[in-house]
Amino acid sequence: MPPTDHQSSFLNRISIRRNQVTSMEGNHDQELEEIELFQKHVADRLAELASSTDDSNAFLSIAWFRTLIDALLCCESEFKAVLILDRDPTHFVKPPLDRVGPELQDRCVKALDICNAITYAIDLVHYWQQLAEIAVTSLEQRPIGDGQIARAKKVLSALLMFIADDNKEQTKSTERSWSFGRRGSGSTVSKDKDRGGKSFRYMNLAFNKSWSAAKEIQAMSANLVEPRGKEVNGLAMPVYVMSSVLVFSMWALVAAFPCQERNGLLTHFPVAKNLIWAQSLISLQEKIGEEWKKKEKKAKVGLLEEVQRMEKVATSLVEFADAFKFPVEEEKLKEVEEQVKELSEICKKLEEDLAPLQQQIREVFHRLVRSRGEIMDLVEQAGYIMGSSA
Amino acid sequence: MEPDSSSPEENSSEKNDEQQDQSAEGEITEDSKPSDGSEEKEEAEKEANEDEADQQPPDVVKVTDEIDQFIALLSSETVDDDNEPPKIPESLEQYAFLAEAKIANYDATDNPVKWGELPEELMTALLENVARIHKLSVSLSKFSSHSEYAMTLNRFGEILQRALSFFEEEFRLLLEDCDVQNIEYSSDPDPEKELPPVNYFPGYPDDIIAKLNRLVHALITTGHETECCQLYFLERRKALDAALDRLGYEKNSIDDVQKKNWDAMERDIVTWIKTYKEFSKNILPSERNLIESIYAGHESASLNLFRILTRAFLIQLLNFSEAVAMTKRSDEKLFKFVDVYEALRDLVPALDGLFPADDGVHELIKSDATLTRCKLGETIICIFRELECKIKTESGKTAVPGGAVHPNTRYTLNYLNLACEYKDTLELLFKEHQRIERADSNRTGPEFQAANNQPSNNNEEVTVQSPFQLQLIKVMDSVDSNLEGKSKLYKDASLSLIFLMNNGRYILQKVKASPDLKSVMGDPWIRKRSSDLRSYHKSYQRETWGKVLQCLNAEGLTVHGKVSKPTLKERFKSFNAMFDEIHKTQSTWLVTDEQLQSELRVSISSLVIPAYRSFMARFSSTFTPGRQTEKYVKYQPEDIETYIDELFDGNSGSQPGKKK
Repeated sequence: MPPTDHQSSFLNRISIRRNQVTSMEGNHDQELEEIELFQKHVADRLAELASSTDDSNAFLSIAWFRTLIDALLCCESEFKAVLILDRDPTHFVKPPLDRVGPELQDRCVKALDICNAITYAIDLVHYWQQLAEIAVTSLEQRPIGDGQIARAKKVLSALLMFIADDNKEQTKSTERSWSFGRRGSGSTVSKDKDRGGKSFRYMNLAFNKSWSAAKEIQAMSANLVEPRGKEVNGLAMPVYVMSSVLVFSMWALVAAFPCQERNGLLTHFPVAKNLIWAQSLISLQEKIGEEWKKKEKKAKVGLLEEVQRMEKVATSLVEFADAFKFPVEEEKLKEVEEQVKELSEICKKLEEDLAPLQQQIREVFHRLVRSRGEIMDLVEQAGYIMGSSA
Repeated sequence: MEPDSSSPEENSSEKNDEQQDQSAEGEITEDSKPSDGSEEKEEAEKEANEDEADQQPPDVVKVTDEIDQFIALLSSETVDDDNEPPKIPESLEQYAFLAEAKIANYDATDNPVKWGELPEELMTALLENVARIHKLSVSLSKFSSHSEYAMTLNRFGEILQRALSFFEEEFRLLLEDCDVQNIEYSSDPDPEKELPPVNYFPGYPDDIIAKLNRLVHALITTGHETECCQLYFLERRKALDAALDRLGYEKNSIDDVQKKNWDAMERDIVTWIKTYKEFSKNILPSERNLIESIYAGHESASLNLFRILTRAFLIQLLNFSEAVAMTKRSDEKLFKFVDVYEALRDLVPALDGLFPADDGVHELIKSDATLTRCKLGETIICIFRELECKIKTESGKTAVPGGAVHPNTRYTLNYLNLACEYKDTLELLFKEHQRIERADSNRTGPEFQAANNQPSNNNEEVTVQSPFQLQLIKVMDSVDSNLEGKSKLYKDASLSLIFLMNNGRYILQKVKASPDLKSVMGDPWIRKRSSDLRSYHKSYQRETWGKVLQCLNAEGLTVHGKVSKPTLKERFKSFNAMFDEIHKTQSTWLVTDEQLQSELRVSISSLVIPAYRSFMARFSSTFTPGRQTEKYVKYQPEDIETYIDELFDGNSGSQPGKKK
């Protein structure tokens, strides 16, 4: 179902109902129903994400992230419908919203910074893609000669170095950019390893040096507490649902994309177990958390499926290049052709999916800004209403 | 490799003499060995001795001619399985040998040749040969299924890659070597530097630009465009990042901005505006200029590079304004918000000239900037509405002593006065926003809509008033209604009136003193305020002096044509008492505006003194001169005048009569 249709029908329904019911007291049952419906929709979306395994939508691939962001955007619209639409502003200055509201707003601001960091990370992945494309172009030439090998090796080593450079704080790196193998074909990768770091960091420093995506995620999840007692049936619940989905999405993005400072990224944050959407979210979280633990030891590439594959193929192609002797044996060539084809396909996927994902992230950004502003206005209005009635 | 065609010997030997210590340069001359000049002989022999392995040097001119002929031959051949391709001439091997040695010399690991210092003719020769090798490779590849061809192709392919790799590195090094000291995107606001001159490059001399362009051309025509553009992007991004640093710009996160206190934010905003203007007015135009020159002849590459560089930086910069627009609004932020609003508004025309029409990145940046600007506009309007609302609902319970000007009046008027310095921007902003709001009237709360609908209910004059004027008038009206409320805090009706007069006068004077505020509020408003003030004045006269004047009324004093002495005594007594009392209280009242103070005194004098004088003239003779007169006629008219002149001084109450 396309998200927009779904969302508008839902909004309409709520708005009509709210208009029919004028007394706030009589509204409570409807409200409960709305909250339940909201949770159910979130559950459906997450279940879809958790079960998607087909090739076109591989787990943690860009296509998968696009589905995740779709889910986040839908969730956000419904959340707004439940929480904001025709809401009496004074609710925002009374419990529980007076407490959970500001917490949500704070999470939103942090999510905005993460959106920006991801936007830069997507640029960076695009840059990697370009390096890989050079290798593809070069290795698709026939016959493959020493010139093609040298060119491919140069860019692939640069690519691997960039990928490896993430997460690893180099205390002192020279001003060299990726153009290593500086003098002739004789120089080896290891000799030039110090050269890539700085430029990479320029690609990726969206914020002051102290900013860390890992810390932001930590802060976003720190006060994420399941509503208890009476609050279970009130407005604290949708805020909790929205916050969980938001934190989860941002966390997954950070784990996958090379953004500023991911050291110490959480592998887990607490989620209420007995809510209908929680199971899917927990299982996704466990899967990603496990992956992260595995990869973090290697401390490199991030979990993005395409980039992981890219790293594997690039490593193997560099090995091939190191052992290359002209002319290449037929059997070896077949093997390499396979790998080049895979690399080319990865590049094609990145080319197709990166820009739309970036747009979606921008959309998330604008939506969060807008909702936050609307809530701020309501709080403000509530202040006046309370002030003038006092 | 081939040396220069016409007179290479003198040239390269000259170079060689100048730079004998440079081994790479020394080796370059090796190629100019096939010489006919005798002065070269010694040199050549010397080098031959140095490198005994060196064989008889092939004739370069001859070799390259043969290569060109061979390329021409291959291009006329058709690929055919049955046909054997032409035999590869021996000169190819010679050429490969020469070229390889040459590149190795240039690209020596320990002391490579610097592209920027390479003499013109050697550069041309190198570029020509690289182009030749590229062409040769393309021709050879047609027959690459033949192993001899494949081997030769491989040989040249490697040489070509090495040469291009050398070009890439030199391109990067030259770009990196940007002379930061000479960059003139200055921080000093010299108006003459507003527009960079046509030949204006950030930190590179013109000859280097030309050399970079040649490298670009070599790289792009051999299919290394991506490498070439990535290198440019990385190096210039670094350079522009350094420019951000020099301007003192900090890459705050949105979270940082929300948490900063306003003082720190104000400083950041000032830096941001400076940085932003510098980028949109100087840095980006010169970058565009630089890219266009370095990538001359490769327009799509140059435009694309400019796009991605600009996007990276403008998104970064716009992000800060977005973060500012998101902060909690308050009165004090108004002025800085308007500054940011103006900077965002001015960006659009500044960028228009840099991009082609309908460019995607340009549109994206514009729409982002516009979105943030609209949000700021909304916030600015909210600040005015909230100010109006806050004044209206403010309900302090303490009256200002002496009926003086209320601090809130002062604050509001000073605030509006400052706001009017941004009058032109605010006028446009309110107009634009009103349009948006009409189109999107469901977004804001009900009371905002109500407030917005009001203008249509007003009288004829309103139709010519701008939305900003209306807003200011509304703020003024709320000041009025607040003052009305405050005036009721005084128990003494006269003091209430003095309070209204003081504040009204203050407002009027403030408005009249500021041409901007005056023109916004308009003459009708000023006339109305002046007439209000006159009516307060009249009411005050009635309130305070009406009863006093009744004492001086001749009516009821004469019974059957005779003056009733007891009544007269009573009249004088009550006049004295009243006047004493008024003097006692009202000299503690404060009218700070000197003109108003004197107007009040003059009007009171002209009301009271003639009445008193004529009353005295008519009736004081009734009393027995001496003690009786002294007892009842306490004041001479001159005394009255003196005492009136002591009113509204804010004194702590001196007793009349005790003075003098």
